[in-house]
Amino acid sequence: MGKLECSGDASLQNALELVLGYLNQIPSYGHREVLILYSALSTCDPGDLMETIQKCKKSKIRCSVIGLAAEMFICKHLSQETGGTYAVALDESHLKELVLEHAPPPPAIAEYATANLIKMGFPQRAAESAVAICTCHEEARIGGGYTCPRCKVRVCELPTECRICGLTLISSPHLARSYHHLFPIVPFDEVSQTPQNVSSHGFSSDCFGCQQSLLSQGNKPGLSVTCPKCKQHFCLDCDIYIHESLHNCPGCESFRHSNSTATR
Amino acid sequence: MPSAPSKLYSDDVSLLVVTLDTNPFFWSTFSFPFSEFLSHVLAFLNSILLLSQLNQVVVIATGCNSCTYLYDSSSDKSHGSTSGSMPSLYSDLLHNLEVFLARDQQLAKPWGNAAAGGGGAPPSSLLSGSLSMALCYIQRAFRSGPIHPQPRILCLQGSADGPEQYVAIMNSIFSAQHSTVPIDSCYIGSNNSAFLQQASYITGGIYYRPPHLDGLFQYFSTVFATDLHSRAFLRLPKSVGVDFRASCFCHKQTIDMGYVCSVCLSIFCEHHDKCSTCGSVFGQSQSNVASSTNRKRKA
Repeated sequence: MGKLECSGDASLQNALELVLGYLNQIPSYGHREVLILYSALSTCDPGDLMETIQKCKKSKIRCSVIGLAAEMFICKHLSQETGGTYAVALDESHLKELVLEHAPPPPAIAEYATANLIKMGFPQRAAESAVAICTCHEEARIGGGYTCPRCKVRVCELPTECRICGLTLISSPHLARSYHHLFPIVPFDEVSQTPQNVSSHGFSSDCFGCQQSLLSQGNKPGLSVTCPKCKQHFCLDCDIYIHESLHNCPGCESFRHSNSTATR
Repeated sequence: MPSAPSKLYSDDVSLLVVTLDTNPFFWSTFSFPFSEFLSHVLAFLNSILLLSQLNQVVVIATGCNSCTYLYDSSSDKSHGSTSGSMPSLYSDLLHNLEVFLARDQQLAKPWGNAAAGGGGAPPSSLLSGSLSMALCYIQRAFRSGPIHPQPRILCLQGSADGPEQYVAIMNSIFSAQHSTVPIDSCYIGSNNSAFLQQASYITGGIYYRPPHLDGLFQYFSTVFATDLHSRAFLRLPKSVGVDFRASCFCHKQTIDMGYVCSVCLSIFCEHHDKCSTCGSVFGQSQSNVASSTNRKRKA
């Protein structure tokens, strides 16, 4: 980090040419975006910056700029031409807000994003005592690498592309992190507080998830929710945890022959 | 000088949630009897409670058709032994286990041999259910106040992985990783369990397959008994490799090379024309597909 010093004039064209070189290799189903944090008040370029902006537009690269000093016309023009956003930060917390706005990906344009089936490999992690020659460092390494399922060479980290056979290597947890969006759980229903519930429906007095008592003071039923599929009762805290973090209903998962049909 | 109450919860107080595999299809064909296994487990749980007065133990049964809580050391409900010959841990747990096993077997009856005959492999136990329940209980422990015991989960598993539980188990693993709850696994089945290896690797727990089952209590007390703070000072078993293979969405088989849909990331073992999860047609741009399916729906 000590060697990274700034000197000279800022150049938007050099930055965009570098980005063009990297992002042109991305296949059609990927997003191509660049976020520029710009604090200079001018740009000093070796050629025609407008031509570079047209090249970015043709390559479908979405350029967004966050200004740290003052608003500049060229940044506004760049973001307008390529479909990105331009904002100038007023203070530190505003800067954080602006940067985090770029965290969720922008919607993809349907005509450009063709769906493809990508061949991928899921390597196994080697034992701590395994010795192999690593393809990324080209030297023998002990333990802790992954084995390509097609050509059996060792790679150091995932996700990566195998240097020998070109197979994209990924670990299944990387993909599994987004599966809760594909298979969401239904919202739970609130249970009404009539006295009939307690006697006739076999109202369980404990939350199914955490075993906390669902009765409030005086042995009357407190607020609870129920899953429409497995009909188990949960407390409100478990409801929040299940829907925001866990994405599994413990009741549906704990009964093999519940009424829910398998969604996967 | 710190006063005694502020040191009430020190680093080495733990909340241990144990998920116990009670799958009858596995235990009936396994060389080690379930009763002996249970005696090792009960002695181990007692030793955890002896290590510190503030330690808590919760046991959840992972059955073939259902899961339930068997024992909670911090709860008031206890049956107590009539003759006082056994500690309440033993009598409560064994009583609840008997009730659970009878009910679990009854739940299987209407489906009879259909569960066992499906595919020829013995049915797996519902690990995803007991992990979800364990995580809900641990969230309750987190809510109990600013000072609370350090929670961890120990999975005692023998049955093979059920590929249909893949997504649910991965959701539980990520939630445990997010709450920094390690999942330890003690696997006694024949081949390594890929799901438990991944669980322990991702959450920072220990995966161990004991080589000699008659010394099970020894493995429990040396590998799995230590609290999280003390693990930094111990030389624990190193991982023997993690199986990161996924299971395909069409046949639920484990695959090491497959095809991934670029839109929804579902995994298939062979080339399809259309993704079964999101409906995208491969190789065509999405706008053409959307208009044709809309027309079909209106008709």
